[in-house]
Amino acid sequence: MKLTRREFIKTNAIAAAATTAGMSIPGVALAAAPEGQDGVRWDKGVCRYCGTGCGVLVGVKDGRVVATQGDPDAPVNKGLNCVKGYFLSKIQYGKDRLMRPLLRMKDGKFDKNGEFAPISWDAAFDIMAQKVKATIKNPDQGPFGVSMFGSGQWTVWEGYAANKLMKAGFRSNSIDPNARHCMASAVFGFIRTFGADEPMGVYDDIEHADAFVLWGANMAEMHPILWSRVTNRRLTATHVKVNVLSTFTHRSCELADAELIFNPQSDLAILNYICNYIIQSGKVNKDFVAKHVNFHKGVTDIGYGLRPNHPLEQVAGNNGYPGADGKPKGNPMNSSPITFDEFARFVSEYTLDKTHEISGVPKDKLEALAKTYADPKTKVTSFWTMGFNQHTRGTWVNNMIYNVHLLVGKISEPGNSPFSLTGQPSACGTAREVGTFAHRLPADMLVANPQHREFAEKTWKLPAGTISERIGYHAVLQSRMLKDGKIGFYWTSTTNNMQAGPNVNGEIYPGWRNPKAFVVVSDVYPTVSALSADLILPCAMWMEKEGAFGNAERRGQFWRQQVKAPGEGKSDLWQYMEFSKRFKVEEVWPADLLAKAPEYKGKTLYDVLDANGQCDMYPKSECARVNAHAWANYTNDESDAFGYYVQKGLFEEYRRFGLGKGKDLGEFDTYHKVRGLRWPVVNGKETLWRYREGYDPYIKAGETLKFYGKPDGKAVIFALPYQPAAEMPDKDYDLWLCTGRVLEHWHSGSMTRRVPELYKSFPDAVVWMHPKDAEKRGIKRNDVVKVSTRRGEIELRVDTKGRNKMPEGMVFIPFFDEHRLVNKLTLDATCPISKETDFKKCAAKVVKA
Amino acid sequence: MNISSAIIHVLPGNVAIVRSGLAMVPGVEVHGISPEGKMIVTIETADEGSNADTYQRIGQLDGVMSAAMVYHQTESEPEMEVSVEVRRQPVPQNKEI
Repeated sequence: MKLTRREFIKTNAIAAAATTAGMSIPGVALAAAPEGQDGVRWDKGVCRYCGTGCGVLVGVKDGRVVATQGDPDAPVNKGLNCVKGYFLSKIQYGKDRLMRPLLRMKDGKFDKNGEFAPISWDAAFDIMAQKVKATIKNPDQGPFGVSMFGSGQWTVWEGYAANKLMKAGFRSNSIDPNARHCMASAVFGFIRTFGADEPMGVYDDIEHADAFVLWGANMAEMHPILWSRVTNRRLTATHVKVNVLSTFTHRSCELADAELIFNPQSDLAILNYICNYIIQSGKVNKDFVAKHVNFHKGVTDIGYGLRPNHPLEQVAGNNGYPGADGKPKGNPMNSSPITFDEFARFVSEYTLDKTHEISGVPKDKLEALAKTYADPKTKVTSFWTMGFNQHTRGTWVNNMIYNVHLLVGKISEPGNSPFSLTGQPSACGTAREVGTFAHRLPADMLVANPQHREFAEKTWKLPAGTISERIGYHAVLQSRMLKDGKIGFYWTSTTNNMQAGPNVNGEIYPGWRNPKAFVVVSDVYPTVSALSADLILPCAMWMEKEGAFGNAERRGQFWRQQVKAPGEGKSDLWQYMEFSKRFKVEEVWPADLLAKAPEYKGKTLYDVLDANGQCDMYPKSECARVNAHAWANYTNDESDAFGYYVQKGLFEEYRRFGLGKGKDLGEFDTYHKVRGLRWPVVNGKETLWRYREGYDPYIKAGETLKFYGKPDGKAVIFALPYQPAAEMPDKDYDLWLCTGRVLEHWHSGSMTRRVPELYKSFPDAVVWMHPKDAEKRGIKRNDVVKVSTRRGEIELRVDTKGRNKMPEGMVFIPFFDEHRLVNKLTLDATCPISKETDFKKCAAKVVKA
Repeated sequence: MNISSAIIHVLPGNVAIVRSGLAMVPGVEVHGISPEGKMIVTIETADEGSNADTYQRIGQLDGVMSAAMVYHQTESEPEMEVSVEVRRQPVPQNKEI
């Protein structure tokens, strides 16, 4: 029969919705075109936005992504999309896609104060190579002056290639992902408590939990699909309770049985109170604690991650900064063993009265929450994101939520789960697992550990001593080092730090515009960062390249390249590999290192890092063979360019790092056939609950449970106090300022603001404030106001109701709007351990503009 | 044009009011309602601006608890013909969302 395309598409749309809803539409005959006749080719893919990792089906017609739908076979989202994911097919087609490399020029050559003009890739790489070589030779800068800021949105192989190029090629550990701004505290929390990164649980916990506790996570807006699973659980199992802890009332509170609004920073006190309650009420799981837990007391005067000359750092005895004698002042990570009784005494001062006083939460609500955790019959899943992680005590607060779960043994089993959510699609897969942090190597290995460096050097076929033992510049330090002239070459990709990084006015902008630095931005749209750079490189994005992401539940997911990038856009992977051809090994390595591997003399970094007999071992014909089940004669642009199946070679080399260490990834080919696998993948089988016998293949029969990241198999409960924030409201700046996101926009909006529907539904950032705070200042709803801090000011409109309801004394501004850069206002104070910025707390004032 | 589908969750007592609300929104068609209050709708709009408006209007209707998006496609030649095979929709096994 004949149908118009419109009728046909509509029928498909109805069928997709009906299948997802588990409904059949009686009497409706559904149509399906014979393979290919409607011109749309469908394939599996992964959503481009958040760390949830929803599966999407991607429809391509005439070389363009024209349709997407939630993948009904994807275990994460079971066919659903959030509003952002719904319009995914449009993110690649914004009108202002970058098409060619653009360099700031005057009179035909590079000038830091020139205007952007198109140049060739060849010319772009020429000037970049020249700047890298000059930086390495500059005694004020050296190899670490070659610096890279990458992304939790990099595909796995892009992050891997970048890490190798920086740490092995240029011998610079100054590579850090933007995940530093969102995940680092979670990472350090995991490492410190369990000795191994990433959650023990999985999303399946949602369908097993009796109670949910959200700590500084507005899942209804930021993780809508997981929230729909929580909602479904709450509505279908009537005993289930949802507790939401936050510093203001937001959309997740609509489903909450208990809403606990606490004063900023007082989460530290509340967590200690819960531990105290558990101990006082005799609800400690003594058997679990005896077998699986050690107790430690952490050092406390650790500072706030500010510049060393800041008064708060001068008085901190354990911030690790150089003291008067030039030696580091202690180490904020330090801790010493204590007994259970000592821990009990430590938390005993966090009584109900005192905690109520610090937090402002009514006593009955605090007690009810503590009871939920203490009750042995209630399975509790805790979720958190930026409220915990973006915190000057972010590592502590991560440690402290584990304290609670460990005291009652509610961990590593269905429904009992302390679960750290992620904000970026591959914060776990690329930033964490590949180890693109300044202190890391793949599979939780560290640059500071000689055995780990040796393992990496051997795996990469490099001479001993190639990788530096010194930790590189982390995100916030990169901005400071740019401003101080210590970084000569800076390359950022798939991120927008000029909008998303802290204290733009004070640190980032002056750093990027410092004449001593050459700044390259690889991106797909002219973001604030791109426009602040010296050189812009046009990228391939999402379905324009073959990719792999790792989501928050340890699930690795792959997709095939569906379409070509527009103009001269190239993937980051191509950029790193092609750029590495510009360097002879002797130009970047010292002679004594090269003497240990004379066979590398005269070779390029490309020869040494990529064409090393491993990354180039799978011929191009493998592209078609591995993906034959999906479509015939598949290939991708990188494999065409380099002549072998690049992604497979890199992945299979990378995979060696984690095998046998509890970080096992599956084989490359498998991921192209399945809807993801959760590591450790042993004998082709994924792992749901880590550390637990019966689920985790690393736990032997009879062991029950073992936290094998630690040498003695025991996790650590840390005694850590409540301490105030780095900057608090005072008479001059009398309000707390918190930043974050809204449902419609993802991060700095470089993709979602190009989708007309999303742009229109939330065009401009507003400042939410309490009606009384507005009234006191003579401000009405929708008035334009000036919000200022000690670092800058912005103007925007006021909202006093709507989705966010602020308590008195606090305002909230989302960061998606490039015309109202809230990060001109924020303070670059970080957790001194994780170096993650606290974007949630600084002091501001608001006046009518 | 934009063609899309969504599942709208409606509180069981509110189906009638939501139906009449939806009837006022151009381009929206209801294709089925489950006993628990899940409604399958399609949305057809000529351009992106009206698509955005339609979404906002559906979300703001009285009685709508949530609107979950499922499928979206843009089509430049909606009136062109295709030949198709007819088959019945298989009855889905998975009753959960």
